[in-house]
Amino acid sequence: MRPTAAAILLSGLAVTALVATRLWAVGVIAALLLAVCLRAGRRAKPYLWGTLWSAGFVFILWPLFQSRGYHVLWSGPSIPVFGPLDVTTEELRGAALNALRLAAVGLAFAAYALLLDHDRLLAAATARHSVLAAALATRLVPTFERDARGLVEALRGRGIAPEGLRGHAALLSPLVAGSLERGFSLAEAMESRGFGRAGRTRVPAAPWRPRDQAAVVTAVALVVVGVLWL
Amino acid sequence: MALARVERLTFAYPESAPALRDVSLEVEPGEVVLLLGASGSGKSTLVRALAGLVPWFHGGRFEGRVEVAGRDTRNTRPTELAGTVATVFQDPEDQVVLGRVEAEVAFGLENVGTSPEAILPLVRRALAAVGIAGLGERSVTEISGGELQRVCLASALALEPELLLLDEPTSQLDAAGAEAFFELALGGDAGVVISEQRPANALRYADRVVFLEGGRIVLDAPREDALAWLAEHRPAWVEVETGLNAARAVGEVACSVEDVSFAYEAPVLNSVSLELRRGEVVALTGPNGSGKTTLAKLVAGLLEPKAGSVVRAGTAAMLLQDPGRYLVRERVDEEVALGSDLVRARAMLAAVGLAGSEARHPRDLSTGERERLALATVLVAEPYVLVLDEPTRGVDPERKHELASLLRAQTGGRATLVVTNDRAFARAVADREVSIVREREPALA
Repeated sequence: MRPTAAAILLSGLAVTALVATRLWAVGVIAALLLAVCLRAGRRAKPYLWGTLWSAGFVFILWPLFQSRGYHVLWSGPSIPVFGPLDVTTEELRGAALNALRLAAVGLAFAAYALLLDHDRLLAAATARHSVLAAALATRLVPTFERDARGLVEALRGRGIAPEGLRGHAALLSPLVAGSLERGFSLAEAMESRGFGRAGRTRVPAAPWRPRDQAAVVTAVALVVVGVLWL
Repeated sequence: MALARVERLTFAYPESAPALRDVSLEVEPGEVVLLLGASGSGKSTLVRALAGLVPWFHGGRFEGRVEVAGRDTRNTRPTELAGTVATVFQDPEDQVVLGRVEAEVAFGLENVGTSPEAILPLVRRALAAVGIAGLGERSVTEISGGELQRVCLASALALEPELLLLDEPTSQLDAAGAEAFFELALGGDAGVVISEQRPANALRYADRVVFLEGGRIVLDAPREDALAWLAEHRPAWVEVETGLNAARAVGEVACSVEDVSFAYEAPVLNSVSLELRRGEVVALTGPNGSGKTTLAKLVAGLLEPKAGSVVRAGTAAMLLQDPGRYLVRERVDEEVALGSDLVRARAMLAAVGLAGSEARHPRDLSTGERERLALATVLVAEPYVLVLDEPTRGVDPERKHELASLLRAQTGGRATLVVTNDRAFARAVADREVSIVREREPALA
């Protein structure tokens, strides 16, 4: 499938998950996207961790910040500002729905970052500069992860083991500085390779095939169904 | 008419002393010019001036004139010179823009407006020319460092430039890889300017040698004359491979590796054994991808073996390849003191030639200085087992000799394992050399 068609289909799934209100429908979309992401193997790990932790936090915190529903499952203390920390069936349902929505959107992004050929997406884009920036930003995640591993490994090689949240947080500043340095080198290389010059051409793109068109139609249909019936 | 002409160029980066002083140089079509000089001598700046990146990209004070293919770089942006000039920079990872090999090589061709139908044939021809025709659909993150360096060369060659600029392009390759790289890069009709710290290979291909010192040209001569000048005035630059150092008395076993196997996804090491003794320096050599770094990490305790055992008699420290990983503090001396205290840190900085740089920010150091800072950060820990992975990357020959002397002088009661592709350095530093070979399953030779 062409990356453009695949990106539209992933966007369609994410939008449907956001507009749908039926728990099972959002759950099915999230499960489908999870199965897609798992095709990337070990590379999927940081994306899955990030997405599932975020969704987990939403699920835990959501009922505590809501006060609705009559079917109380647990009655907690009343805390100033937050009010009573009761958990109701309705709040749990809302928490699950929003956690699944967040998971679906995160997994759609993960599938885009892990499985799509960003170069071909870029080749098909009209706003090339914006899409190139997006493609470079997408590559930043694995680069950042590799740099972080490298910093920790170098420290271990010096006999220093960064411990706890504070120890690892101290590495954030050198990580960002390293990333900026890399960005500077990359910008220099891009300029020397003619980036930004007038009269740019592009490699001819492959023609759209029926399944690419089907993917786009499916994406639009999913959003419509999501708005009207899910 | 000269392809490139530099006339009385003096250039200083913003708020810095001049990096180039009154430099004049001509490059003829088809000529191979080799730039030599210590770290910070101005080689990379001269390469960037020929590409128009100095002063357009870096800013600074620019006096004199640089003309490439009849165009004055003061009036022509680097983007406009692209295609006429192509540059391969030192670190391949910092110049790759796109994710797929074929798209990466096509990037420059698209930018300079090559006709769409001609792009893919040119890309495929360039990939075939550098021996990686089968990698077109691969992701740049999945290929080795050596292959990535070839991708960068293919990206430059695909443009069919009149002037090819190579800024230490073989820093990550073993001797055979570097030789193959030069064979591929210098096979065309383009004028070529190569900046190098490891001159042995490049000297064989150069028509002319230019030696820079403190931003000035101190030698500009045909190769044969240059070789004679180097032998007389800068002997460290004419590498002569010597025998190993005379055997020294060594102590008890400091680290014992027995029947170790290791795999990431594919097997890397299979039933490898190695013994390091106190007081000796062992050089671990072998081609790229043979598992040298993996074995070094096992020795240092950064990896755990899947099978077999690694026993160390004391603490271990390891210097990894990328000096950028040793820049976590705001001052040079604090960076080194992270593994010790300030007094010892300053003494170690002096030992590696960085006295006077204590208060500088580590990121303000040059590449060569960063290498030395990284070395100081592991030496200061005074480990029982010291492991150094390619410590001569970006280090000029004179510094290399100093480094070999420093390591040998500091051996004391420590066992030192040096992973290196640099045969001359291996011979200069080691008491014993261990070669790792890459067959179907690597084993020690």
